[in-house]
Amino acid sequence: MSATTLPAPPRLALSSELMRISFRLLAVALLCVALSVASDAFANQANIMNVLRQSALLFFMASGLTLVVLTAGLDLSVGANIGLSACVAGTLMKSTGEPAYAVAAALGIGAAVGWLNGVLVAVLRIPSFIATYGMLWILHGLTYAYMAGSTVYGFPRGFRQFGNGFFLGVPIPVLVMLASLIALALFAGRTVWGQQIYAIGANPVAARLSGMPVRRRLMLVYTLSGLTAGLAALVFLARLNSAEADIGGSLTLPAIAAVLIGGTSLFGGVGTMFGTFVGTLLLTLVLNGMNLLQIDSRWQPLVTGVIIVAAVWIDIRTSGRKT
Amino acid sequence: MIIEQTNATTVLQSCGVPLLELRGISKSFPGVKALQDVSFSVWPGEVHMLLGENGAGKSTLMKVLCGAHQADEGAFLHRGEPVRIMSPTDARKLGIAVIFQEFSLVPYLDIADNIFLGRAPRGRIPGTLDRRLMLDEARRVLDLLGMDIDPRTKVHQLGIAQQQMVEIAKALSQNAGILVMDEPTAALSERESEQLFRVMARLKTQGVAIVYISHRMAEVFALGDRITVLRDGQRIRSLLPHEASPDALVQMMVGRSVDMTYPRHFGAPGETLLEISGLSAASGIRDIALTVRAGEIVGLCGLVGSGRTEVARAIFGADPITSGEVRVFGRIHHGGPEAAARLGVALIPESRKTEGLALNRSVADNIVSAGLPKLFSFGVFHPSRAREIARDIIARLSIATAGTQVAVGTLSGGNQQKVVIGKWLAAKARLFILDEPTRGIDIGAKAQIFALVDALVQAGAGVLMISSEQSEIVHVCDRAYVMRDKRIVGELQRGELSEQNIVLLGMHDA
Amino acid sequence: MLDRTLPSQPALLARIPGVVVMLAVLNIGFAWASPGFLSLANLSNVLAQSSVLLILALPMTLVIMTEGLDLSIGAVLSLASVSLALVAVATGSLVLALIVGVAVGAACGAVNGWLVAWLRIPPFVATLGMFGVAQGLALAVSDGQSITGIPASVQAMYSGAMLGIPVPILLMLAAALAMHVLLYTTPFGTYVFALGGNREALAFAGISQRRILLCVYTLAGAMGGLAGLLLTARLNSGHPSAGIGMEFDAIAAVAVGGTSFERGNGWLPGTVLGVITIGVLRNGLNLIAIPSSLQVCCIGVLVILAFVFEAFSGVRRGEPR
Repeated sequence: MSATTLPAPPRLALSSELMRISFRLLAVALLCVALSVASDAFANQANIMNVLRQSALLFFMASGLTLVVLTAGLDLSVGANIGLSACVAGTLMKSTGEPAYAVAAALGIGAAVGWLNGVLVAVLRIPSFIATYGMLWILHGLTYAYMAGSTVYGFPRGFRQFGNGFFLGVPIPVLVMLASLIALALFAGRTVWGQQIYAIGANPVAARLSGMPVRRRLMLVYTLSGLTAGLAALVFLARLNSAEADIGGSLTLPAIAAVLIGGTSLFGGVGTMFGTFVGTLLLTLVLNGMNLLQIDSRWQPLVTGVIIVAAVWIDIRTSGRKT
Repeated sequence: MIIEQTNATTVLQSCGVPLLELRGISKSFPGVKALQDVSFSVWPGEVHMLLGENGAGKSTLMKVLCGAHQADEGAFLHRGEPVRIMSPTDARKLGIAVIFQEFSLVPYLDIADNIFLGRAPRGRIPGTLDRRLMLDEARRVLDLLGMDIDPRTKVHQLGIAQQQMVEIAKALSQNAGILVMDEPTAALSERESEQLFRVMARLKTQGVAIVYISHRMAEVFALGDRITVLRDGQRIRSLLPHEASPDALVQMMVGRSVDMTYPRHFGAPGETLLEISGLSAASGIRDIALTVRAGEIVGLCGLVGSGRTEVARAIFGADPITSGEVRVFGRIHHGGPEAAARLGVALIPESRKTEGLALNRSVADNIVSAGLPKLFSFGVFHPSRAREIARDIIARLSIATAGTQVAVGTLSGGNQQKVVIGKWLAAKARLFILDEPTRGIDIGAKAQIFALVDALVQAGAGVLMISSEQSEIVHVCDRAYVMRDKRIVGELQRGELSEQNIVLLGMHDA
Repeated sequence: MLDRTLPSQPALLARIPGVVVMLAVLNIGFAWASPGFLSLANLSNVLAQSSVLLILALPMTLVIMTEGLDLSIGAVLSLASVSLALVAVATGSLVLALIVGVAVGAACGAVNGWLVAWLRIPPFVATLGMFGVAQGLALAVSDGQSITGIPASVQAMYSGAMLGIPVPILLMLAAALAMHVLLYTTPFGTYVFALGGNREALAFAGISQRRILLCVYTLAGAMGGLAGLLLTARLNSGHPSAGIGMEFDAIAAVAVGGTSFERGNGWLPGTVLGVITIGVLRNGLNLIAIPSSLQVCCIGVLVILAFVFEAFSGVRRGEPR
């Protein structure tokens, strides 16, 4: 083969990304149509707002997680991180009456936990799923011990607006979601750091040999994952107006599912923040639909589990990657 | 070194049928003809030496013999009967045992378990192993090899030499008639090698044939009953030891008509870009000293395992240094790859697919990947600027690609390599370390790569080039260092640079 | 090319396993902190309570040796527990309950094995998915409620005794013995070692890697079913959340026991010791009134310590080439 023949067929990376997102948006649209038909309760104002708020919550969890998965890692501790951050922040806010402390606590603890995960994975070289799985239980234990079975509730009105209020007709959490979507999408796609994260996920050895600071970037993504978990904790507090030990646990699997069906590959290097956004919408619609159709909530882990396995399988088949 | 030679070969040859005969074996991989019409025969009780440079086809031949690869064309005859070798099981049934340099032993099982993996005898209690039988048999074969070691020892506790013996024991226990060994003494000490030779002598008396791949001339002449030389996938000659001399063998191994001209503009070298002294690293390299000046292409030669890649990685900072000094552009460099890239040092690794490129990412993304901090200020990344930089590099290096957004994995080998070089060009590197830059690249692209490198040094860069193809070194380099056993054993200036000299310096002479 | 040498380390017995040190430290510590700790009643209580965990941790050792992980075993236990409880209440038969429990567990395990070995899905994803599925099924089968009215025949599995030895301890011994025989004296055991240590060796020996993997995961599921029976007997009810979190304890026990997650180095006695260590830890922490939630933290810290220990004992290789 001479040097001037063109390889065939070319795979244009950019347009394939667009295609994948379009497919998923189509799926969202179809799902909305199907649900409107299947249930009268779907297409009304209250339910739509509810879906949007719920997806905002899920998105906060999934967004930081996306960065971790981009590096071919996994953060199983996000749910437990939310639990701990929410409980500490809630308790602090209840005792001092100051939402500002809650914000600082939630974000601070979230980020600190994320940083610890980063140390385990990047410095101690513990496989990410084991390290974050262990962290999950540690956080769980700390949270339960801290709360000792009690619930804290009744937060300042201003703070609750953060979860329940509207601004220009749009629920505030949704605005925050859109803002963070834009911020994180810009981070992933338009910064040097973001490009390095993609490169590390695609081939960590080549990334290191290209002069990228792999360890520092890994610590960064886990810290960010923790930070967004802290943000999710705040939304939880604002919406539920209470905090108890098992907050967030039930959303870990859906968050992972949202990232995976949004097109981010478990093997790293592929995926976008916008894809996760669409994946979040899809998954929230699925869960909402199940509720409306009166399917018992106990089936949700099962459906989520199947979605996760299916998403990974499809990824393996279409990308031809060997495990 | 006391070696026993028998005349078993001559006796058996007069009896008629070779143990194994290869006729016209060919094997190709995409873009590469690894074996072409190779024919030779192996007689019982002989030690058949297989010689060839890196890339001559020896390892492909081994894989075909053991059934790991299937030959595209050709036939095998076992004791005169045609047979097929399509899987490891087929090879095993024919009594062919291949011992690769990477062993196929399970580290946390003991010797007996390893010897019997997959064919263990069952004991009285259904389902369990007959450990007594296994241990007895293991002891028997270990004794045959003169090894006094408890077969209950776990393999991971054994040294390399002993593990090799276990591999041989495994083969013996399966009544192997043909043992193929790939540079068995490469990792052994003098004493361990002698032990191996004693074992081989014993095996010979039992009629076991040994195909022995080696680069050590002393061994070739002391042990070999016959010698076959491979070059470029073809068998050049089979001959008896007394019919050849070391020089003649080297000539057969390297002699190829120079059918390529590598354009090179030799000029006066400029400032010293790289200066290394007393460099040692955990990877085993010792006391490395070399220099590279602007405008020079300096070669680093030696056999596989001589430590060249380790030197490259130590310079770049990919592996930690235990002692010595690396001076780059006059400044001491003791950091990792990040510091090296920042200083302007580039490493084009040996396996571009696993270490040099992110195959699933676009050409543009790969091209800017090494220079991200330098090319984008304030950490802001513009895809359009990345594409622009990529287009520039693509044009300068004549990379054949359908666009900047194509996945780099779809490019041909030569173009992929250009992307790797281009990545460092974009990162404004001035010192390039190339590790086997033309491996797996077809002829036409090779010339382009060298033209590229020539242009680099003309523009003031310095290049340290590792290559196993002596002709490349001879035609392209200003001078070359030769490595052997993880040390530098010599430097050849332009006038002394010839394939003969490189090979002779690089091979063992004791 | 860099030389690739097999990792070598001093013989396992030449250096005292970390788990023995941990166990010793904990025993001494708790004996000093709490007088009731070293009593025979308490220690035999520790053993009995560790029985369920041991039955889970033993096959988990094999799974981890093959460089895999089974995150679903706790949920599978729950599913088995409610299934067999229903059968036990309906028929009163211990034997039927046992069969159903083990069958349910084995089926889940087989699905895991199929996902990992044939579809090539990474083990933690496959078993994470199965975790969700089994959890959902457990809730569905039990309607979210405990299933009470467990017949005496089943109860006897935990409270009964034979020859003066409590049944759970007998079960522990039997399971440990059986697994030991399986791993160390059968050809299958050597294949499990090979899957973790050098898969190519299996290919050269003509053994199907996929079938071995399938067996390993199915075995884990089946033992999960057996553990479900034991736990149902102990709780005197079948409960859909019976096994929640037990997979973590099982993984912790294996990690603490010294089995490596990367190189096919499995040490069953280590797992047994690891289970006892966790049992001692929980028991001791109970005695000094540390809540169960914090106990989990301590276990998590132990796991991390086990990894750090492995990393710094120089046995792990550095940056891969």
